[in-house]
Amino acid sequence: MLWTAASFVIAVVAGLAVSAALVATTGADVPQVFGALLQGAAGSPKALMTTLIKATPLILTGLATVIAFRAQIWSIGQEGQVLAGAMGGYLGAQLLAGLPPLLFFPGVLVFGMAAGMVVGWIAAVLRNSFAVNEIISTVMLNYLIVYLLSWLLQGGPWGETGDTVSYHQSPMLPEAAFLPGLFGNARLHAGILLPFLAAAICALVLSRTPIGYEIRGLGHNPVALRHKGVNVGRTVICIMVASGALAALAGAVELFGVAHRLRPDSLVGLGYVGIIVGMTGALSPLGTVLAGLFFGGLASGAVYMRVLGDVPASLVPAMQGITLFFFLCAGVIARYRIVKVAAQ
Amino acid sequence: MTQPLQEAIVVSILVSTIRIMTPLLFSAMGELVTQRAGIWNMGVEGTMLTGAFMAYLVATLTGSPWIAVVAAVLAGVIMGLLIAFMTATMRVDHFIAGLGLNLLASGLTLYLFQSYIRGRAQPTFSGFQDVAIPLLSDIPFIGPILFSQRALTYLALVAVPAIWFLLYRSRYGLELRCLGENPKALDVKGLSVVARQYIAVMLGSAMTGLGGGFLMLGFSDRFLADFTAGRGWIVIVALIAGNWKPRGVLIAVTAFAFLESLATHLQVVNAGVPRQLLLALPYLASIGLLIGLRMRSGQPVRLGVPYLRE
Repeated sequence: MLWTAASFVIAVVAGLAVSAALVATTGADVPQVFGALLQGAAGSPKALMTTLIKATPLILTGLATVIAFRAQIWSIGQEGQVLAGAMGGYLGAQLLAGLPPLLFFPGVLVFGMAAGMVVGWIAAVLRNSFAVNEIISTVMLNYLIVYLLSWLLQGGPWGETGDTVSYHQSPMLPEAAFLPGLFGNARLHAGILLPFLAAAICALVLSRTPIGYEIRGLGHNPVALRHKGVNVGRTVICIMVASGALAALAGAVELFGVAHRLRPDSLVGLGYVGIIVGMTGALSPLGTVLAGLFFGGLASGAVYMRVLGDVPASLVPAMQGITLFFFLCAGVIARYRIVKVAAQ
Repeated sequence: MTQPLQEAIVVSILVSTIRIMTPLLFSAMGELVTQRAGIWNMGVEGTMLTGAFMAYLVATLTGSPWIAVVAAVLAGVIMGLLIAFMTATMRVDHFIAGLGLNLLASGLTLYLFQSYIRGRAQPTFSGFQDVAIPLLSDIPFIGPILFSQRALTYLALVAVPAIWFLLYRSRYGLELRCLGENPKALDVKGLSVVARQYIAVMLGSAMTGLGGGFLMLGFSDRFLADFTAGRGWIVIVALIAGNWKPRGVLIAVTAFAFLESLATHLQVVNAGVPRQLLLALPYLASIGLLIGLRMRSGQPVRLGVPYLRE
């Protein structure tokens, strides 16, 4: 346990060190950059709130990763499912407009999740019935969804057209469709509670239910699981549908809580970062919440850093990639043990 | 439509088919070498992206596309070294290693790119020009299609038989295929498995990086985020569709390139189809192809299985 913890701490330190070296090679002031990053992530109540808001979709896509990767199903469809979730939610908002909030918000979130579930289901069927590798099918689906959304917003029915140009975004949602704020603060939308609820449910399902047993079993020994009489194809469908629902929820929450209009650039990347979040969280729900808060902090600090440190905000995705790399190595090193062997 | 116009359009579609093929062919041959050695490298997209970025960086700094090509190849070698370290030494799951590499590459290239331009207007470069082969390029119809292309295109077309020869007619190729089918046999003979895996992945990734470099130097004069736009994944699909054989991969790559060329031309004539549907065609075709082609007889037995000495 101590060795495991130590190897992950080393991974964080190494990740930060390499990131600092990267910042230094581009000629920026390293302490200033990291100071700005820290201040923007946790330097004030407002910064903490932004961190929480940025972490919300990342934890959800991270959990979507955990559910799939624990079963060794390497779905990277989260990216497209986030977009699908926002699209489903937007469609729901148009169909359900006028309902009382207590029905409207659960309704639109269900619409969003349903869209992600369909995407996950397609990839699962492709894997089960046609032996199509899920990495490839989900990547292709991601691109198809990107183009579908692009068409809907530009040339299709949902675009906002000005006098001469189309903006590649939808018109603003009516204010009744904004997720209500907590503690009288409009920015702190109620959706920030969902990732914690979802993480608790995921933890319970994984450790205490038959389907959770099957998920872990599929990851450890699919042959044994099949011999036990488990319908593995059905398990794969359950996993992909659940993973799709979680990722889509991220997109829907982002739409109704933050962006308030369908706009690709507010959603792009959330799915891919979710993979990093789930992996650095060691594929455990609790770890994912912590990793999500960490990466949410980075995203929140990035804005500050760009202003104060004069460093492009894309340092954050670079840092995420570097951190992931060291965490992958740490995961391997943590498995090594010093074992006492009796003298021969 | 008049007869000469029709012919001009057909020639134009075929010319750009060959041009679009070039980067895909380099990367696919590289990935073929890697996968025949048993490494399921999912990092093609990231390797191509890094190659493309390095080509951009060096081309704008030096003004020479040829130095830029060398930089793209070196970038590929470094990415290959990372993949080999993760898969052969650390024995991380191959899929995860590749995904990690892609995420690392997309973050790093974007950061380095933005640090490089620093808000000023993006510097551009002039890439490769067509090299017409004397006499042959004067043949009607075939001449402009096959013999009036970029210099590297000829190299890519030569690379297919070269890789075939390497894999099937050389001692090194036999050992390399053995890595994918039965690495223990090599180990028992006292030949290092890990060293051979490193060489195979670095050689393969060098070609993949070259593909990314050509994508930059042959098609564009500037860098964009997610510049490779999924071509690395198309390469992997082409490998599966081509059943891990050089000729099959060549056919699959040609088919993809033809489709993309057709879509580009349809976009220009504005056939009343949404632009996005045409752009989505290669991805739709990939899924259709994978559903239709269930033959996996050429897949190396130990593809994606980390080698553990007992």
